[in-house]
Amino acid sequence: MPLIEVDKVSKAFRIPSVHRQTIREHLLGVLEPRRFQSLQVLDEVSMEIRRGETVGIMGRNGSGKSTLLKVICGIFLPDQGRVSTRAAITPILELGVGWNPDLDAVDNVLLVGSVMGLSIQQIRRSMDEILAFAELERFANLKLMHYSSGMSARLGYAVAFQAVREVLVLDEIFAVGDVGFRERCEERYRQLKSLGHTVIVVSHDPRIISTFCDRALLLDGGSIAMDGASADVADRYVSMLTHQSGSG
Amino acid sequence: MEAVAEALRPVGARRAPFPHAGLIWTLVRTDFKARYHGTLGGFVWALLKPVCMFVVLMGVFSFLFASKPEYKLNLIVGLFLWDFFGEGTKSGLMSLHARGFLLSKARVPSWILVVTAISNAIITLGVFSLVIVAFLLVTGHPPTGEALFAFAMYCAALTAMVMGFSLAASVLFLRYRDLNQVWEVVLQAGFFLAPIIYPLEILPERFHFYLYLWPPTPIIEFSRSVLVRGVMPTTTGHVYLALDAISCLVAGIFIFWRLSPRAAEYL
Repeated sequence: MPLIEVDKVSKAFRIPSVHRQTIREHLLGVLEPRRFQSLQVLDEVSMEIRRGETVGIMGRNGSGKSTLLKVICGIFLPDQGRVSTRAAITPILELGVGWNPDLDAVDNVLLVGSVMGLSIQQIRRSMDEILAFAELERFANLKLMHYSSGMSARLGYAVAFQAVREVLVLDEIFAVGDVGFRERCEERYRQLKSLGHTVIVVSHDPRIISTFCDRALLLDGGSIAMDGASADVADRYVSMLTHQSGSG
Repeated sequence: MEAVAEALRPVGARRAPFPHAGLIWTLVRTDFKARYHGTLGGFVWALLKPVCMFVVLMGVFSFLFASKPEYKLNLIVGLFLWDFFGEGTKSGLMSLHARGFLLSKARVPSWILVVTAISNAIITLGVFSLVIVAFLLVTGHPPTGEALFAFAMYCAALTAMVMGFSLAASVLFLRYRDLNQVWEVVLQAGFFLAPIIYPLEILPERFHFYLYLWPPTPIIEFSRSVLVRGVMPTTTGHVYLALDAISCLVAGIFIFWRLSPRAAEYL
């Protein structure tokens, strides 16, 4: 039985001709009806991911990769279709996890770790390891508002790698940190893979997809254009980009 | 590698009896820390606002209502309950937006983000309740056990109202980003609509019904009745209050249930 099953999932966003975000704007615009355009982001996408698989997702900007991840993670609801997940999912979306800038690293790790399903005891036991992984031991009591974007992202990866229970979802894997940090991420990734975890990786980098994934999907215009061996999908993605720039 | 070892546990093999207990505790603790800098001094600072308001209002209005010996007690009960209502609804209204960093990055039960956002207001209400009881003892009005129980029930009803409002307003705020400003205006008018700084009796009786439609009014009046005057309100009054609280909560849950599944799309 697949661990994650996506069955004919469609998702569209309604784009209004005029954005109205306040009561005042709605009241003042009551006599000026808006037109809405439907932006189809996912169009009857179906896929299955089995336990222990590492699946890459590739596609150009706007092809629906991030929306598909959010639908799989349960953050967005699909308009049509069904997503069945039979495992706990730990996501790192858009290069990070959510932080409260008014709290220090220790409290943020407690907060995000709890959201990811770890118990407080587990987080406290893992705290030193998380901070060491992110190389932020010296800044443990510094509020996140004073962190650079790189430091925040490193901390996010460190928490998620520690919190992963069954499925790890990585949007733009290893796109942060210096060479040393990336090597640690890759090492932890291999460790999780060898332990039998399922991993979904979104990346624009053909090397990452072909190196770290068994299988890959190519999204184009909200549909799956190809589902196959990661190296083949990476090649197809490169040729798609080459063709696009050549015709452009 | 604790978490990695934990990860090898088959999914669903062992579930904690309260799966969200850790998250709720962490949200309450971190909210307290972020708001009050994690110190008792910060919390005391937060209590200063209603206390200062009490001192100023008492200084001015006790001359106006000099013929009412219980004015001081009525004022402190009204002000503290109002402070809970105002702070709780404001925090609840902003809760999903303020914690959007969690909602847009992971699957998290969004109702927990709303409910825990009013935890600080509840803690403050608890402290205020102790202050009120101490004040009553000092001023020679020791409350009976029955009165304290009734007051606890009124606080619970007010909490249900605040929670219902917060659930509805938190998801509506994501769609209408000036709802907080509108609510500020309503609260400002509502402060004078509720009989906090004036006794209800100074208004013609035909208006009382309308004032009771404003949810804090029956809570404040009933609390004063049991704590200050020592008179238990009628059963009809209690039924009305219970219906009021339940309908606020149910309406809030319904709006939240309809709109919250797509809340992350509006962040």
